[in-house]
Amino acid sequence: MIVASLLPNINELFDWRSLAGGDTLLAFNKTALMAFVSTAICIAIFWTGSRKQALVPTGIQNVAEMGYDMIEENVSVAAMGEEGKGWTPYFATLFFWIFFINIWSIIPGIQFPATARIAIPLILALLSWATFIGVGLIRQGPAYFWNSINPPGVPIALKFLVVPIEFFSKFLMRPFSLAVRLFANMTAGHLILTIFAIMTNELLIVHSSGLYQVIFAPLPFLGLVAFTGFEVLVAVLQAYIFTILTAVYVSESMHAEH
Amino acid sequence: MRIRRLLVVALIVGVSSAAMSSVAGASGTVEEDRACVEKVADAKQTPDGEFYKALDNCRKAKSLIVPAVSEMLWGGLAFLIVAGVLMKFAFPSLRKGIKAREEKIRSDLEGAEQSRIEAEAERSRYEAQIGDARSEANGIIEEARRDADRVRKDLLAKAESDSAEVRQRANEDLQLARDRALSDVQQQVTDISIGLAEKIVEHNLDPATQQALVESYINSVDR
Repeated sequence: MIVASLLPNINELFDWRSLAGGDTLLAFNKTALMAFVSTAICIAIFWTGSRKQALVPTGIQNVAEMGYDMIEENVSVAAMGEEGKGWTPYFATLFFWIFFINIWSIIPGIQFPATARIAIPLILALLSWATFIGVGLIRQGPAYFWNSINPPGVPIALKFLVVPIEFFSKFLMRPFSLAVRLFANMTAGHLILTIFAIMTNELLIVHSSGLYQVIFAPLPFLGLVAFTGFEVLVAVLQAYIFTILTAVYVSESMHAEH
Repeated sequence: MRIRRLLVVALIVGVSSAAMSSVAGASGTVEEDRACVEKVADAKQTPDGEFYKALDNCRKAKSLIVPAVSEMLWGGLAFLIVAGVLMKFAFPSLRKGIKAREEKIRSDLEGAEQSRIEAEAERSRYEAQIGDARSEANGIIEEARRDADRVRKDLLAKAESDSAEVRQRANEDLQLARDRALSDVQQQVTDISIGLAEKIVEHNLDPATQQALVESYINSVDR
């Protein structure tokens, strides 16, 4: 109750007022700004890294090449095999853009991941959804839809149950689960950091008198430090999960199940 | 050392998070707050239940799972830009560089392997040559030993034969000298004897008879 009374209205944590464009469809707020700054950071790193072609990579070239290699090995090849290498540019873009958007959650002065708003996870999930359906249609033709929801080896009697479940899980739930997983994790992380930051602020700065507070005040601060580190892990992990699930979905769409 | 740095960074972020918790918060606009107050003011005369309901509605949080279309548009645009630029310009170049390096490393490794195989073959060839040379040297040494042995034997034989020859020649020379000396002595004895006999039996014997007599005598003496 005490913590709840300290917390601001939830709108103050997630609802950002427009910086430009008023309340129109083109309203440009802090979330949109972070998306573009992340875009600029991604482009700066990989553009600069790809301009240098030193035989022994150093500095930014090393970072760019290691990042690209990491995605190729751990996402493209891991999920799709050798033919997944052609997808590495897309998956690398997806991973690093999501990561740079997530990592704003611990950048002082910003401290808000743009993915803690549902819009960006949703648009990315829809993009992944469209991608794997598109790949399925290109590779298998219209039969892709039936192949996807009709797993081989299922007795006919069970098909009445399995086919709707498969349809629901593959074509309706996937974009939703992708979006919600990313959004919910980043939102939870943002809330946890906010709670610990406000508790620290209240106990150490606003009400710094009394033995009780002197004893207990460091605890939320230590929690804040720990969860800040944890949030870095969450930022990386959620970007990775989103990317590898997209890779798995695309891989599934490439070949009909036998 | 890395852990210490990580802790320092986490500490800095933590401190700034706490310090900026009020700064970073997204507060509502003044207009929204004024509108809220007006709504509650309108409900001021209503029963308590409705008043609190109006108050709750005014402060009600916006749904977190309703996406803001503007954010979807801007977010989608930002992603398309980053995807377009990176996939068109950055990643192909990056990939080309990585491929080139992989190729170079592969070819270097293959070259090194080839060199190793060649060196191995060369070493085997050298070892075979050394083996051949060693056996050839052994053959030469053996032959030289045999030659030396033969030469030694030849020399010994020659020395022995030379020595025998020298000895024989010396014996012959000795024999010759003895014969000559003996002959000289015989001649001198003969001469002396003749001379003596002449003196003794002067004119009794003719010279041929004397000679035969003396030689017969000397031969008997010689034996």
